[in-house]
Amino acid sequence: MKVDVLLLLLNIFLPFGIALLLFLIPKKVKWVAEFLTLITTIFCLGAALRFFLLGIQVKFTLLLFSMGNFEFALDIGTNSLSLFMLLFTAGFAFLTALYSPKYMAGKEKRKEYYIFLLIALGGASGVFVSNHLLLLLIFWEIVSIALYFLITTGGPESKTGATKTMAMIGAADGCLLLGIGILWYLSQLLYIDAINIVINNWLGAICVILLLIGALTKAGAIPFHTWIPKASEKAPAPVMAFLPASLDKLLGIYLFFLIVTQLFKLPSGFTLTFMIVGVITIVAGVMMAIKQREFPKILAYNTVSQVGYMLLGMGAGGILGIAGCMFHMLNHAIYETCLFFCAGAVEKKTGTNELEKMGGLAKVMPITFICCLIAALSISGVPPFNGFVSKWMIYQATIANQNPYMLIFLIIAMFGSALTLAVIIKLIYSVFLGKAGAASKKIKKDVGISMQIPMLVLAVLCILFGVWYQLPLSQFIMPAMQETQAAFQPLGSWDSLLAVILIGGGLLIGLFIYLLGRMVKKARTVPSFIGGETIETESARVVGTDFYNSIESMKPLKGIYNIQNKGALDPYNWFGKIGLLCSNILKKIHNGILPFYVFWTLLGMGVLILLFIIL
Amino acid sequence: MDILMTGIYVLFFPGFFTVVILGLLSSWIERKVTARIQYRKGPPLLQPFYDVVKLLGKETILPKQGNKFVFIIAPLIGFVSISIVAVILMLRPLLATSFVGDLIVVVYLLTLPSLALIIGGAASGNPLASQGASREIKLILAYELPFLIVIALIVYKAGFKIDLQSLSATSGLGSVSGIMAFIIVLLCVQAKLGFTPFDIAEAETEIMSGPYIEYSGPLLSVFKITQSLMLFTLPIFMITLFWGGIQFYGWELLWFIIKYVVILVLIIVIKNTNPRIRIDQALKFFWGFCTITAVTAFVLAVIGNIYGIAWL
Repeated sequence: MKVDVLLLLLNIFLPFGIALLLFLIPKKVKWVAEFLTLITTIFCLGAALRFFLLGIQVKFTLLLFSMGNFEFALDIGTNSLSLFMLLFTAGFAFLTALYSPKYMAGKEKRKEYYIFLLIALGGASGVFVSNHLLLLLIFWEIVSIALYFLITTGGPESKTGATKTMAMIGAADGCLLLGIGILWYLSQLLYIDAINIVINNWLGAICVILLLIGALTKAGAIPFHTWIPKASEKAPAPVMAFLPASLDKLLGIYLFFLIVTQLFKLPSGFTLTFMIVGVITIVAGVMMAIKQREFPKILAYNTVSQVGYMLLGMGAGGILGIAGCMFHMLNHAIYETCLFFCAGAVEKKTGTNELEKMGGLAKVMPITFICCLIAALSISGVPPFNGFVSKWMIYQATIANQNPYMLIFLIIAMFGSALTLAVIIKLIYSVFLGKAGAASKKIKKDVGISMQIPMLVLAVLCILFGVWYQLPLSQFIMPAMQETQAAFQPLGSWDSLLAVILIGGGLLIGLFIYLLGRMVKKARTVPSFIGGETIETESARVVGTDFYNSIESMKPLKGIYNIQNKGALDPYNWFGKIGLLCSNILKKIHNGILPFYVFWTLLGMGVLILLFIIL
Repeated sequence: MDILMTGIYVLFFPGFFTVVILGLLSSWIERKVTARIQYRKGPPLLQPFYDVVKLLGKETILPKQGNKFVFIIAPLIGFVSISIVAVILMLRPLLATSFVGDLIVVVYLLTLPSLALIIGGAASGNPLASQGASREIKLILAYELPFLIVIALIVYKAGFKIDLQSLSATSGLGSVSGIMAFIIVLLCVQAKLGFTPFDIAEAETEIMSGPYIEYSGPLLSVFKITQSLMLFTLPIFMITLFWGGIQFYGWELLWFIIKYVVILVLIIVIKNTNPRIRIDQALKFFWGFCTITAVTAFVLAVIGNIYGIAWL
């Protein structure tokens, strides 16, 4: 028992300790940072695996501070949900640590990157096991600060992205703090497993809304999503893969899950709002992704769009909906991390992020291409990959509500899936297929093995969780929801194993027929035919970024894109303008003239004296 | 024994081989009716089979600038996915239970042949093929929206069920909203098949067959078989959702064949009496007229259900 507690504490605090150690080691010593990070992540993964496989439930409380009714304790405990989250956090951290050395080699801020990677890992582990809301907030904040510094490791131009991220997440965390304060006022308790508040007055509603703002800004739902694309511009790809793609989703949806299922009893208006915000996020995210011209930005907007599915699932409710939401969170983390790793690999080799300069990379980077294709098909929800299964569950949850108005959400969600497919095709064509662009002509071979292994592992997981979807459902998702596998009663049927056997059989028959033809005569390779003209000129290259010009220039959409380009749909800009307004007013008051200040001081003193006399 | 029977069903009747033969037969019907409309004689019955065998015997030519692996795999993926949809639809009435998947699975699998065409065109290393691929994905975006609205309408009419067994038992055409939905689905199927007025992606005269331009020999034969399979499967899909489902026994079988031929002739007549439209016109058409009609049908269905008006 004691060993388990020690192991759990080590899981959280060992990364902090190693990070501190790395601070002290000078930068000149090579490979120490990478090695120590790798060792730490392997240790955390091993510990999490041990906890998960043995199903150990740990509880540990250490009262640190108490004043009247208010207690602050280092209260940590594990249940099925946190065990599964810990496992995947450690897993993603390990894959990132494996991927990073090759990617970050030669970059300026290598050491800071590894330090804050470890801090983020420790903070996230702390969030998942803490049972006390303030403790959760402290660890949550640690992850936010680590995110800020991690983004700045991308170089001097990443400061704007990092600042915007810190501003938005910081404001969201402020809302979280305020929400926790109101929660304490309502329930006098701060232990997560003891709170269960019924919301029936406006104060409770405000509390829930504040907590939701905190959770959903981290996850990246509309309208609090704008930090993700801005950060993706200059942040290193493994940072984007580890934090906004996977960890932030795990954290945000974890808190969201707690709010909806455990902490409160929400009235039905909330679930309807979740569904509405969810579908708006789906469509707005992917419509923005359609017109992007840079690889990481497309992925960032796709991330935002997928959060909409999670919101929709949670709003639709029922076992199908909530399980669909959690499974989608997991699947999304897997394939989005894989996609960002591929983006990093392509950026490392070509030196650019712009889609126009790439093309034809499938020949020189085959492994990256295959992993990217698998992850891309998963994000579009193509059967039999894992993205399809979680989307299928969420669609059924919408239908199971037996409400015709919810079918509107179903339509929009399925259409969003078609739009995602369109974006993915543009991406795959621009980067891997098509004719080689300026930047791809100089590449001779693929990235190194240490960068390929994480991508391959994640791609294999995409296939595994898609074909054998009963496995993650019964091992991870259902226990996390405190339900048994038998409670999973889908409306329709999806026999993935049979489908894969049929697909495999069909492909074999097709390949057999094709190879029969090949045995007779070898295949000939000829230059492409466009009506007798030569296509060696650069102008004959169809660039993928022009694919959707017809859609972007449609009348109503054009206006919306114009408004969005000017930054009018970004709450960061609204609050920026309000802040500037306030500071302008204050600037006018502080005009430096002494009699002016004396006048205000005397006025203030007079008001105080008056109050003193009256009261 | 059960697995053996299922295997025989899947492979021979009414599965894979039957569907391929019926698909090629329906492609013959299409060519014969087109010829008659154009005052020609038309090809003999076995012409599609001759075409496939001829193509299989030709040499395989791969494009130099393209991605050879993806170029070869793409038609196979399209072929396999439409075969699975055909098998799902045909085996369901025989086994009287859902086979492999439900409505959502079928809708997703139906996008795969078009996706395979796009990927194949993208991997051809030919700017005309890329142009065709880009048009095809825009067309998919265009017709998916009204198509999904109509799918939701059918789910609603069937009482929020998505397994194909219950869906084929509901009568879709017996109401105004059902008929409107049927027309919209017909237009979407026309676009899915790549027939005029929506054959924008493979415009023969504009971009030299678009994604198909570099394909020849056995790979082109796979694409041709895929096209004929789609010509067979999509009307069957429409009948399953709207017109009473597939029947295998007695007079029902004759009535089913008549329904199928009616839908096929409708598709062919629309194909032969319309010019090709541009991609932006197609986007406006589907996102404008078709979507509004589909939404109206949906609203009518909801009103009809709430107020108990059966014919609405």
